[in-house]
Amino acid sequence: MHVNTRIMPVEFEYLEPKTKAEALEMLAKYDNVKVLAGGTDLIVKLKTGADIKVDYMMNVKEIEELNYIKLEDNLVKIGAVTPLSTIENNEIINKYLPILSEAIKAMAAIAVRNMGTIGGNLCNSSPAGDTIPPLTVYDAKLILAGKQGTKEVSVEEFITGPGKNILAQDEMLVEVVVPAPKENTGAAFIKKTRVKADISKINTAVLMERVEDKCVNCRIAMGSVAAKVVRILPAEEAVRGQKVDLNLCQKAAQIVSDEIKPIDDNRSTAEYRKEIARVIVEDAMKIAWQRSGGEKIND
Amino acid sequence: MSAMFKLVGKPAPRHDAWAKAKGDQLYSDDFTMPGMLYGKALRSKYPAAIIKSIDTSKAKALPGVHAVLTAKDVPMNVEISKFGQMKDVGGGFEGLYKVLADGKVRFKGEAIALVAAETEELAEEACRLIEVDYEVQPGVFDPEEALKPGAYIVSSDEGENESNLIMESHINKGDVEKAFAEADVIVENEYRVPPVDHAYLETEGGVAWVDDNGVITMRVGTQVLEHYRTIAKVMGLPQNKVRNMSVPMGGGFGGKEDITVETFLCLLANATKRPVKMVWSREESLEVHSKRHPEILRYKTAATKDGKITAQKVEIIMDGGGYKLLTGWVQMYSTVNAPGCYNIPNVKVDSYSALTNNTPSSANRGFGCCQANFASELQMDELAAKLGMSPLEIRLKNCLRNGDEICTGFIPQGHIALEEIAKKAWEGLEATGPKPDYVDGKKIGRGLAIGMMSYGRLTFMHDSSRVGLRIELDGSVTLRAGVPDLGGGQASVLCQIVAEELGIPMEKVHPYIMDTHLTPLCGTTTATRQLYMSGNAALVTVKVLKERIIKKAAEMLDAKPEEVQLINEKACLINNPLKSVPFVQVVGALSNDGVELFHEGQFNAPFTDVPNLHDMKGRIWPDFTYSAHAVEVAVDEETGKFEVRKVVLCYDVGKAINKNSCEGQLEGGCVYNQGYVTENMGWENGITKARSFAEYLIPTAVDAPEIETIMVESGGGLGPYGAKGVGEPADNSIAPAIVNAIYDAVGVRLKEMPVTPEKLLKAIQEKNK
Ligand SMILES: Cc1cc2nc3c(=O)[nH]c(=O)nc-3n(C[C@H](O)[C@H](O)[C@H](O)COP(=O)(O)OP(=O)(O)OC[C@H]3O[C@@H](n4cnc5c(N)ncnc54)[C@H](O)[C@@H]3O)c2cc1C
Repeated sequence: MHVNTRIMPVEFEYLEPKTKAEALEMLAKYDNVKVLAGGTDLIVKLKTGADIKVDYMMNVKEIEELNYIKLEDNLVKIGAVTPLSTIENNEIINKYLPILSEAIKAMAAIAVRNMGTIGGNLCNSSPAGDTIPPLTVYDAKLILAGKQGTKEVSVEEFITGPGKNILAQDEMLVEVVVPAPKENTGAAFIKKTRVKADISKINTAVLMERVEDKCVNCRIAMGSVAAKVVRILPAEEAVRGQKVDLNLCQKAAQIVSDEIKPIDDNRSTAEYRKEIARVIVEDAMKIAWQRSGGEKIND
Repeated sequence: MSAMFKLVGKPAPRHDAWAKAKGDQLYSDDFTMPGMLYGKALRSKYPAAIIKSIDTSKAKALPGVHAVLTAKDVPMNVEISKFGQMKDVGGGFEGLYKVLADGKVRFKGEAIALVAAETEELAEEACRLIEVDYEVQPGVFDPEEALKPGAYIVSSDEGENESNLIMESHINKGDVEKAFAEADVIVENEYRVPPVDHAYLETEGGVAWVDDNGVITMRVGTQVLEHYRTIAKVMGLPQNKVRNMSVPMGGGFGGKEDITVETFLCLLANATKRPVKMVWSREESLEVHSKRHPEILRYKTAATKDGKITAQKVEIIMDGGGYKLLTGWVQMYSTVNAPGCYNIPNVKVDSYSALTNNTPSSANRGFGCCQANFASELQMDELAAKLGMSPLEIRLKNCLRNGDEICTGFIPQGHIALEEIAKKAWEGLEATGPKPDYVDGKKIGRGLAIGMMSYGRLTFMHDSSRVGLRIELDGSVTLRAGVPDLGGGQASVLCQIVAEELGIPMEKVHPYIMDTHLTPLCGTTTATRQLYMSGNAALVTVKVLKERIIKKAAEMLDAKPEEVQLINEKACLINNPLKSVPFVQVVGALSNDGVELFHEGQFNAPFTDVPNLHDMKGRIWPDFTYSAHAVEVAVDEETGKFEVRKVVLCYDVGKAINKNSCEGQLEGGCVYNQGYVTENMGWENGITKARSFAEYLIPTAVDAPEIETIMVESGGGLGPYGAKGVGEPADNSIAPAIVNAIYDAVGVRLKEMPVTPEKLLKAIQEKNK
């Protein structure tokens, strides 16, 4: 396929709503509207010739009412157009959702994080999207809005395949809502790349809730090993209610490695991904456990 | 002497630093003209095919399209590539340069037709409308396969041989077979190195137009201004009617050493009589411009049990890709550098280069030398490991010293500091503290590699450079030099030298550079030659003017010329600085007397004859720059991921004329070839899989290690003030140092780059089995 990234070979009308209501109005009114946030995925795709139908380009980054981070009723609420760099440096996020901040810090370079938004990362729905595993283990809910009203879905329900999600033509993502994790909960995020500022070859987020020396709730999400970010339920099951030690971490990590069915692509091989899935899940569990207040697990 | 320098040896801000920092500098793509059209090349879909026919009628009919050209529209479509050398070298060195493919397509992305249209989009559209009838050919993609009898023949029919062999070259010194028979130990290994892209920020581009007097004029960044001669030939025009007012480049690294957009632009501007711009997209640049030569290098080394190397036998196979370009020259560098920077009594090198249907190979910072250095420095550590010696010990035992001859029998004239710099680099790393076994769960390893690489061109090319100076009546100085500036400060350093000699501040010397017809030709910014060649030319030139000024000043001061010096914008007595006359007054007096206040001087490198390629002997380059890299890496044994933590590099730079630039080159070169270890073009049967910088990954600022730079200034170089060249040698020995450090950490040495975590993990697991 011939590509010339000096050219964006599409023509469209440009829309710039200033309010959420105006945006939803436009979505309902026009056909083939494409939401533009930071454009760090969308513009790249349009330049490299992706088959995207766009008659109207609607820039949502000027909608101030969708740019916020707040804590309400023990819920962390993030507006969909909040830039990644705002999130990574935000106090509420660093206090309650530290691995979301860590995952963002491990993304791209500062310039891209200044442009890119959390809504864009979710709606782009890449299997390698770095905010997705953290939001999955934190049990985030996404608020989708249309002129007719809103609905609330989990991240897992939202994303259906590579670049695919359940958004309807006249809907957009407006907010990410995350319950503040309970006391004695720890989480970890690990990503492996080719050079430092790079898309994940593989990534993982692990969350563990501790009661004394047992893990009462465990969530493990893996990116870049399937058509979408996946939770590894048999591994979570194996941990839940158990006394946490090295043995358990290794057992769970092995289950993850056995369960996933990654592919070969230009970033890595299936074989290698299976191999290091075990390593990064074990490491992530150790970190998560220690962060939950559990005893440090040594090799 | 050195205590008296005012400017030389100091960090000096360059004349263009602010413009670049503020974004005021206009690069190739930043320039537009009224009525300008956009040029675009239609490129081959296949790496190997026969073009049966081309139908351009639909493209020509598209409104807004002003020209569609194919091979038959080019006055001279096939030319012999020259690179500004003064001498017709012949002997297989000068390769074919073809403007547009006809007959056979030799690599994927080869240009077949050119279009000029009102907009870039229209030009794209027109390219899509050109119908090319291809007959796809099997092609050949492996240089060893290409050299076998019966292989697919890459070349077309323009008088090239019916074989894919580009060149063979041989070195025979002493008796290797006898040495192998008598050896205590023998080490044999095969190494493979991949193609490398230059990854400059600025892709190839420029603008061309026909000026008021009918001169075809370009504004194209290039490392070789002298290409205007080839372009004139292609256009069927006299050489005084094709001009390049070249522009500073956003990086060259050898990738702008071959002709890029120049001929395309001139043909289109001439056909349309309108200004035309062409800038290659990143995809185009990655796919079609030449890459560093991939090579297979087979080593057999003999040594005594106390570690003295007695014989080195090397076979090299080089992949030249679809066109010869600079392959023959690059081959000289690989061949002569194959034994490494060591004093070895018995050497045999046999090297062969082949045409294939891959992207052409040509110049890339290091020019055949870093391939050989990679292999020979891994081989040294393999030998050290077998003998139970340390990497430093084996190198000190064998490295070249002053008075030693290299494998061609030539004894370098410049100072050889290998022993000193190897020690300084290694000790510098050790001084950072004892090597920990593990840091953050990762295994730590340290490695060393040393190297030599020439500065200045092959001496059989008879290289020269010229610089022009004019002293203005207000005491400022106009410097004219056809020196292509690719960001290394090539022009600024000339001002520094002139200012030093005339005793005036650097800002008082303004450079006018890079115009094929208005500035004296300085030769190419390649081969690490500009400081050496044009620096010497500037020195030769300024000294002529300085003599006139001092003579006049002596008259005015009532003294002898040898009693006068130029300093602080004054001419004064050396023994009595208070007795002085302002520089500008001396200039005024000379002007009154009708003395010439301008001069253009030339510097010639040493000249030699073309060597006998079956038995290369004698001098091949003017001199060498010696390098040492000591590296610490951290390797994750469970994932195979490795990180370069620290580098201590040590070079004998001769004299660091601009400390900032010199350090910048050494550190930039270090990171450049840190990337050699991991970068991956992803070539598969002539197709480039790495289509963007999201796939062709180079180290970025966050990947750069902590680098400590130690500059030794022996004064033993052939450049101005005893300087040596550093541009290319700067990247020479880092890659093998990294791979050797990985071995030190985990006990496996990957002999083929790129080294990926995937491959390393497998090797670690196999070793632990
Ligand atoms: C150099 C570079 C490096 C990168 N590195 C990483 C990395 O390491 N990890 C990573 O995960 N990503 C990476 N990315 C991808 C990208 O930056 C992120 O996915 C980013 O979060 C996208 O956000 P955006 O606002 O730019 O999205 P956009 O490009 O504006 O939009 C992306 C998609 O989401 C849709 N969309 C956006 N907002 C909404 C909304 N509110 N409602 C409905 N639809 C919406 C758009 O229509 C589009 O389809 C990188 C990109 C670049 C260019």
